[in-house]
Amino acid sequence: MSNPTDPRQLPGADPHTGNRKIDPVTGYDTTGHDWGGITELNTAFPKVVIWALVLTFLYSVVAWILLPAWPTGRDYTRGLLGLDQSEEAIKGFNSLADRRQDWLSRFEGENFVALQSDATLMATAMPAAARLFADNCAACHGTNGQGGPGFPVLSDETWLWGGDTEEIATTIRHGINTEDPDTRYAEMPAFDWMERSDRLALAEFVSEMRGGVADFESAAGTLFSENCSSCHGETGTGGLEIGAPSFTDEAVIYGQDRETLMETLRRGRHGVMPAWSGRLSEAEINLLALYVARIGRPEGGGQ
Amino acid sequence: MLKLHYNLEKISMGLVAAIIVAASIGGIVEIAPLFTIDETVELPDDLRPYTPLELAGREIYIREGCYACHSQMVRSLADELDRYGPYSLASESAYDHPMLWGSKRTGPDLARLGGKYSDDWHVAHLIDPRSVVPASIMPSYPWLTRPLDTDLLSDALATLARLGVPYDEDMIAAAEADALAQSRPDSDAVDGFLERYGERPEARVFDGDPSRLTEMDALVAYLQSLGTLTDAPYRLLAEGSQ
Amino acid sequence: MTASLSVSERRVGMFLSVLLALMGLAMAASARHGVMSAHGFMALGLGIALAFLLGGALYDPEPPANRLQRYYDAPTRFGLVMTLIWAMIGMGIGVWVAALLYWPEGTPPWPATSFGRLRPVHTTGIIFGFGGNALIATSFHVLQRTSRARLADNLSPWVVLIGYNLFCAWAVTGYLMGSTQSKEYAEAEWYADLWLVVIWVTYFVLYIRTLARRNEPHIYVANWYYLAFILVVAMLHIVNNLALPVRWTTAESFPIWSGVQDAMVQWWYGHNAVAFFLTAGFLGMLYYFLPVRSGRPIWSYRLSIVSFWGITFFYIWVGSHHLHYTALPYWAQTLGMTFSVMLLVPSWASAGNAIATLNGAWHKVRDDATLRFMFVAAVFYGLSTFEGSFLAIRPVNSLSHYTDWTVGHVHSGTLGWVAMIVFGAIYTLVPQLSGKTEMASPRAVEWHFWLAVTGTLVYVISMWNAGITQGLMWRAYDENGALSYSFVQSVEAMAPYYLLRTIGGGLFLTGAVICAWNCRATMRGTTEDATDRPLVAQPAE
Repeated sequence: MSNPTDPRQLPGADPHTGNRKIDPVTGYDTTGHDWGGITELNTAFPKVVIWALVLTFLYSVVAWILLPAWPTGRDYTRGLLGLDQSEEAIKGFNSLADRRQDWLSRFEGENFVALQSDATLMATAMPAAARLFADNCAACHGTNGQGGPGFPVLSDETWLWGGDTEEIATTIRHGINTEDPDTRYAEMPAFDWMERSDRLALAEFVSEMRGGVADFESAAGTLFSENCSSCHGETGTGGLEIGAPSFTDEAVIYGQDRETLMETLRRGRHGVMPAWSGRLSEAEINLLALYVARIGRPEGGGQ
Repeated sequence: MLKLHYNLEKISMGLVAAIIVAASIGGIVEIAPLFTIDETVELPDDLRPYTPLELAGREIYIREGCYACHSQMVRSLADELDRYGPYSLASESAYDHPMLWGSKRTGPDLARLGGKYSDDWHVAHLIDPRSVVPASIMPSYPWLTRPLDTDLLSDALATLARLGVPYDEDMIAAAEADALAQSRPDSDAVDGFLERYGERPEARVFDGDPSRLTEMDALVAYLQSLGTLTDAPYRLLAEGSQ
Repeated sequence: MTASLSVSERRVGMFLSVLLALMGLAMAASARHGVMSAHGFMALGLGIALAFLLGGALYDPEPPANRLQRYYDAPTRFGLVMTLIWAMIGMGIGVWVAALLYWPEGTPPWPATSFGRLRPVHTTGIIFGFGGNALIATSFHVLQRTSRARLADNLSPWVVLIGYNLFCAWAVTGYLMGSTQSKEYAEAEWYADLWLVVIWVTYFVLYIRTLARRNEPHIYVANWYYLAFILVVAMLHIVNNLALPVRWTTAESFPIWSGVQDAMVQWWYGHNAVAFFLTAGFLGMLYYFLPVRSGRPIWSYRLSIVSFWGITFFYIWVGSHHLHYTALPYWAQTLGMTFSVMLLVPSWASAGNAIATLNGAWHKVRDDATLRFMFVAAVFYGLSTFEGSFLAIRPVNSLSHYTDWTVGHVHSGTLGWVAMIVFGAIYTLVPQLSGKTEMASPRAVEWHFWLAVTGTLVYVISMWNAGITQGLMWRAYDENGALSYSFVQSVEAMAPYYLLRTIGGGLFLTGAVICAWNCRATMRGTTEDATDRPLVAQPAE
């Protein structure tokens, strides 16, 4: 199949390659082996391959001399540059920090009014804040702070624990119901000890509070006064500053429909907002607090 | 060399031997020293092994192929430190059989995930990722609400102990009970759990339902443990960046 | 199968089938439930089916007396059929998982249809199912032709092929049921790994025994590569899969390696699965089918030698380039990087040798789609080895790693190189083994070629774009020194590329389906072994 078309004997054939055939296309002879019709040319070793090997080998030798490279039993060659990848990373990280030091360090203090009134500073900082929010907060609170069941809305005017920037910063720093010693703490206890019929009545009652049609004189109203009002207020306006939601405004965490309320009453709620002080710097937390506070206002906030 | 080969290719077992030798050198030179050079893995004093519940969660993480899209390895690069946190240390995965460093980030790195989000978020996210992150392309895992099979846990701990993970006999014997206890912080069994594993692993109702021990409990417990087995990475970064 | 075996071989085969069935029964009975029990039943069913097949044919006439004077091609034919079946499974699931990244809710959220479980079915189905069957099938063919000797015995090729496919089936069904070691490209559990060792030893023994019967004192290049494939894959497989089962009656196990050592062992394995499974074996294929199809001598024997030893020696060092900037010590990363760069020379020498072999046959490349498959394979081999060495350089890797660039790189190798050379080999072999002069539809081969090339280009180019975009977004900083993009923005940016890659994969799959149909049409009604090139030596019965 692959026999060269013009085979001819060469005088003084190589003893190793034996029957040498010249390939008419390349002009090279073959090695004389035949594997079921396949032959090989005795092409001289291309010089360029040797050069390429030498070149890549030189590259490697240089790398071995400069960088940590060869293990030597219980140790390894360190290389002339003495590089350590962790040190390099920290160095790079520190130089990043230096680059933003001039504006980010201003957020280390908590004079939010002054910070906010500095338009240039805010223009510099807000894109960074938006990225921090997207990578850290948006998973729960939504890309634009729109929240979701169990994860409070940040883009409205209603704030549990207070909507001042300082309060928001504290919430971010220490979290809610976390292991942090300064965490905010709030728990909606389970009312599973209560008769189901009472719970139903209570759920019905609370679900009607927003429309203002709840009858406080009813049996359910009494249940509310006896069991709920200490946190959520006599008229259900909530105790926002202690983390107890209002039932008369539009904002909800889990939902104010009967079904969700029944679930809340039966199991209780113990929502957790992680503490970020170990993960983000003081300045980053304050920056985020400002950003979050602005999401809640029509003129500022999220992009 | 060409001549050598010319003769070698006439002896099949010679070729076999030469291939084995040529292909062994690199592996030996690169792998063996990882066991002999001390600084390769420096175990910090505070490193703890996974609790039985976390270990069960890890098996679910493996079963569902999470490692195909999520790495658990913050590389020593400034931007990764910036985005994810301290770079990962070899010691952090010293008890990981197998390691789950991953090779792809279709989703974000998870090495520093523990404590970042609440249990409730993990549950909501695993059941329906797009309910909390609309742009997510992660699959939904609604079946994780089924009961956790703890049958193998004692044997699993015993096997890991034979491979050098510091589980003692009490831990092995109580593995099943400890898995349950960690998800029922109000039960009496939690005392035994705390005695064996200390205060650091948190005992919580991870899936929000104290009446059942589910695969969700285990997986969330595992995810919340990521990056919390030792504080060493945070210490090292804090030292370096001052 | 049965017609080519003598009555006594059929008896031994029946015995082995019963043994397999008993092993399956023992597995199923001792595991009682779970994956291992399901796999026991699979082995039991296969054993019983084979026993009936052989038993039913026990008293059929003996095969022709001169069978030992011919090449034994029935196993190759079976292997090629399995190659095509796995191609459709593996590529089909590949397109499916690609689509899931664009339409995450495209298929119902059931455990067995979840991305994380399907993805290893794709990789195992392609690497081991498609690639492995193609390698074993062609190795039997190439070994016999280049040695001018018949396979050393008639039963062990079947043991190898059937046993190997049982391994593949165990692996992929295991993943669907949630059983995996999580080691990439080595996900199968411990008993499947042990089974593969048995099969692999059988394969090696058959190979070396047949090689010993060769009628040409020199061993041909293709066989060096097939040998390296068999030997080194065995070494990698055993070391990487060392594990302690939690119980002898469950599928769960823990690898003996942990942490950084496990990472190094895993990528030593992982990259050399690329080297010795996806490269060495397929270079063997290239070194045989390219000269045969083009009718040209190999361009340079000397270059073959240097490439072979270069690849065998250098490749094994480069796995650590998968772990740049990780907790793997810097020194190991440097070694991985430098050897990756040096590896480029032998790799390109192979590709160059293949392409230069086509000198004098370019008109055939133009006219013959089959030869064109092999040419494109050699080109993509050169491209992806260059890209591989490039991506192994630490700073480049800092950008590319964890991104879809790696995925694009892998697929330029697997689609452009591995699959193309397999198709070239298939289109050469199938007519020959079916006693025909050409494929049933040469036009379909042409269609397949263009679908495959277009599909590969669409796939690879979209993944390059995806990966570079991702990598740049992750590390982009604004002028104030803050990260510009959140992670989820990089996910959103991937959507168009993920759609394109699904389309590219779909084109490639379409080509493979056409190929399977064409092969079926060509092979239909074939019972005779190919009688091309009768053996010169005639070993006694």
